[in-house]
Amino acid sequence: MKASLPGIAHWRHDLGHCLHATAGVLLGFHGADPLDLLGAAWGFDYTAGDMRREEYYFPCGQRSLFASLAPFHDVTSTWHAPSSPEQGWDEVRARVLAGTPVAVAADNYFLPFRPAYQDVHTNHLLVVHGFDEERGTVSVCDPVPPRFLGEIRIEELTAARDSANPVRHSRDMFFTANPIGNRWLDVTVSGHTGPASRERLREIMTANLEGLRGVDDGSSDHRGLPGQERFLREAAARLSGGDASVVDEVFVVAGVALAVTGLHGDYLAAAGRRLGERPLLTLAREVDRIAHHWSAVRIMVATGRDDPATAGRALAGRMTALLADQLATVDRMAAVAAAL
Amino acid sequence: MMRPLSLAPHLNNTGLTGEDELDGGGFNIWGNTFPAGELPPAGGTAVVGEVPFLFPVAGADNVRCRGQRVDVPAGDWDWVHVLGAAERRTEDLVEVHYADGSVRGQWLRMSDFWPQTEPRFGEVLAFRCRHMHYPRHVQRTTSPAIWAQRVPLTVPSGVVALVLPDNPALHVFALTLQAVG
Repeated sequence: MKASLPGIAHWRHDLGHCLHATAGVLLGFHGADPLDLLGAAWGFDYTAGDMRREEYYFPCGQRSLFASLAPFHDVTSTWHAPSSPEQGWDEVRARVLAGTPVAVAADNYFLPFRPAYQDVHTNHLLVVHGFDEERGTVSVCDPVPPRFLGEIRIEELTAARDSANPVRHSRDMFFTANPIGNRWLDVTVSGHTGPASRERLREIMTANLEGLRGVDDGSSDHRGLPGQERFLREAAARLSGGDASVVDEVFVVAGVALAVTGLHGDYLAAAGRRLGERPLLTLAREVDRIAHHWSAVRIMVATGRDDPATAGRALAGRMTALLADQLATVDRMAAVAAAL
Repeated sequence: MMRPLSLAPHLNNTGLTGEDELDGGGFNIWGNTFPAGELPPAGGTAVVGEVPFLFPVAGADNVRCRGQRVDVPAGDWDWVHVLGAAERRTEDLVEVHYADGSVRGQWLRMSDFWPQTEPRFGEVLAFRCRHMHYPRHVQRTTSPAIWAQRVPLTVPSGVVALVLPDNPALHVFALTLQAVG
């Protein structure tokens, strides 16, 4: 038996990671423009301690992963957790045979096309879109450099999916010590109607603004700019006090913020070009600048393990600059949305 | 007239390694490095476009930006040419300090060194390596980049120092001043 699904192509945003790349491939298969769906939302919503050690971490709350990625569209996803590698392959095989590509979690250590092959363990995500049982191969798509669209052995994918993802050396950072567990993700896309109209864009921007301006209730939920400020302020304080245990959490959450912000900047720029609205292009550049703050935050924290006090001071300063720029951008966004 | 600057007092990161010392550096947080053998000789002058850059010597060979103050020799300087790369693209203000105590900010924008990633800020591609070094192997399917960027000095006279941003995602391998005229 074999299957090979058409319509699979690489997609990647340079500030995203394997989650957005995988989502882009799957959304593209379903006929959607990934930037339209993945770039619409801009916000900050993180519950302390929610971070999981996976490259494809995204804070979801009560929503599914894809509903969280694209909250303005009719997209959902379901994680499946098979009880064995055999069941894991049977389920993925059946879904692909039925005509739908899926995302699978996999440890790069076992994937021959990944630079981490036989070197670094990590919890990665990629697309499976075909197989050939006679040849013993499975077709996968991974847009993360060095991008790969081709076949590997079924047993190689199975080993990657069934990995315990252990910590073996110092570069097994952030996304290890979390068994892969043969998990796979089923995605449903329905009712996508193309790029947002002027009216729909105004609704989306208004909703984003409402979220960003949210009130911080002081709980473990960090919502909107007040929550973002508290999250970073607490992290800076802990680092300044010598507590490096916060590094992993802030690095991963900053990575999400970086991706979401970068995607939204490009989303606004695309809308500005499509609608002939120059203020959207200016706004897009400002959002981009916020993303570039997050690039700094991410590395500032990641390099702070050996000297958390210095990282804490740097993060405190960066947080102030980020928030000031973001508040100005939010004000501009409100004006631009109102004028649409 | 071009005037390469020495960054020797500020070098704090090793981004270039040979194949016999793969774990001898760590440009990014994962310990990846550029293959020194594919880049100009250590300590030599590399010309990118028409700009000569003093290519770093072996060992610590670039500045991970953490607010270092780089002294500027007397002159009327029009541009600062920058050889660098970032861990995800980023931008920040460089402080331009003047003899009279005034300070002006100028943007330094740098694209990602990561393979298969386009420049975001219109930089010139200075070097595209064919391989990337990992601490325990050479990855022959990944091609990291070093970019040539420039920063304007809108008031050319009296510059005494440049203070790099406190942004460790931003790496600088070399700086060269270009005189007015």
